[in-house]
Amino acid sequence: MIFFEQVIAILWKDIRYELRSKQMWAGMGLFALLVLVIFNFAFDLRVDNRAAVAPGALWVSFVFASMLGLGRTIAAEREKGSMDRLLLCPVDRKAIYLAKLLGNMLFIGVVEIVALPIFAALFNVPLLLGPLLPIVLLGTLGIAAVGTLFSAMAAATRARELLLPILVFPLIVPIVIAAVRATGTLMVPVSNEPPWLGLMVAFDVIFLSISMLTFQYIVEE
Amino acid sequence: MALARQDTNVKRRDASGPGQAERFPIVSMVLLALTFIGMMISIWMIFLYAPTDAIEGDAQRIFYFHLPSAIIGMLSLGIVALGGIVYLWKKDERWDWVARAAAELGTVFLTFALITGSIWGRTTWGTWWTWDARLTTTLILWFIYIGYLMLRSYMGRTPASARAGAVLAIIGLIDVPIIYESVNWWRTLHPQAVLPLGSSPQLPLEMLLTLVVAFITFTLLFSFLMVQLYQLEKMQTLAQQLRASVE
Amino acid sequence: MQGLTYLVVAYVIVWVGLLAYLGVVMLRIRGVRTELAAVKELVREQQEKRS
Repeated sequence: MIFFEQVIAILWKDIRYELRSKQMWAGMGLFALLVLVIFNFAFDLRVDNRAAVAPGALWVSFVFASMLGLGRTIAAEREKGSMDRLLLCPVDRKAIYLAKLLGNMLFIGVVEIVALPIFAALFNVPLLLGPLLPIVLLGTLGIAAVGTLFSAMAAATRARELLLPILVFPLIVPIVIAAVRATGTLMVPVSNEPPWLGLMVAFDVIFLSISMLTFQYIVEE
Repeated sequence: MALARQDTNVKRRDASGPGQAERFPIVSMVLLALTFIGMMISIWMIFLYAPTDAIEGDAQRIFYFHLPSAIIGMLSLGIVALGGIVYLWKKDERWDWVARAAAELGTVFLTFALITGSIWGRTTWGTWWTWDARLTTTLILWFIYIGYLMLRSYMGRTPASARAGAVLAIIGLIDVPIIYESVNWWRTLHPQAVLPLGSSPQLPLEMLLTLVVAFITFTLLFSFLMVQLYQLEKMQTLAQQLRASVE
Repeated sequence: MQGLTYLVVAYVIVWVGLLAYLGVVMLRIRGVRTELAAVKELVREQQEKRS
């Protein structure tokens, strides 16, 4: 399985690189927390509206934090010119994409794991880690699958911090809706809810495969 | 030396083709004339021929412009994606020009659709905007178009830009039905005022005829603008190539 | 009667917008044409200089 060896090799290289820059991790986590705090003021959380607002606040902070984290790896590689060297290697482009995707998911995931308990404490809602985990995982996968592809695109331009959310936000609307509703259903069970998890799985599968197929066109010089 | 001269000679012959010969392109003249005639006929039909709607009154006449521009604006994304796919396949620059032109026109037509739809909604539903599945999807499609145009203008006229645009258009085309479905599901839980959108089972023949004529007119207008923008893209690429060959 | 006002407003916006857009497109085409002519002149000059 040379393909997976390549994926793991690139992923491991990225992880070692990221471990050296600890401010970035702390910064992303802090950012997610600050969004939660701002939301608290913006919506004046009380007992009666907490279940309606909390899932939205959680996912907005996750989405914003992902946008910060996404594309950092590819942008850094492009700046240092190591992306060109990576492309010169006889590595399958799909392996590069998968490694970048897994790396992004890992970084976003760490931030989310840290933010979730604090979110539960700040908003005074039950944590429900067991049922929440698949929702967070699927949602993060969807955001990262589209985001990794477009971060490679945006990294080639001058305005990548601006362009990335403009390109990604419209496309991840289904994921945001599904994740928020699914999280909300956990807090206040509603009968007759559409299959949000199914929607997220379908979204993830579709865009993971398309992104893998089209990634080569974006990084090609 | 001789080789360099030959090279520029070839480029010059390429360049002298489209600039001069299509100064008065017969196709766009015909399209412009047909569009103009169509516009006159549809204006007459919209304001004089079509009967006033019993429930919605005069405001219903906005619909004859709203529906064609919305449909053409949406179908435009298909052209952008098609141009992108063929570009990725054949590496022919001309398909990228088609995609770029269609993306710009899609933005323009959808903008008209959003504005007229909003005004129509104000009169009929009493609100400028509602988060109904169709409206929301249209708005998000508009954002995708804007993102496409921004990406292309930031990346410039390079093959990398064309490939990135193609990928964005393909992803957008596949995403639009999913967005529609998800917004639909999301809204079913918040029953709003029941919208009479699309609930017109028996459109009078005159109204239907007016709609068809307006639709044909808008298609002609789209084709005319498409030809113009295609020429524009072509000339811009040519100018850039020539400039690069000089510097 | 109010519906009529909205109707007129909608069509005025569409017409003005459409004409403005047409004007912009025509200006862009004209601009590119002059640019193309200038660049062609530049290419010709350079060629003459070379030969």
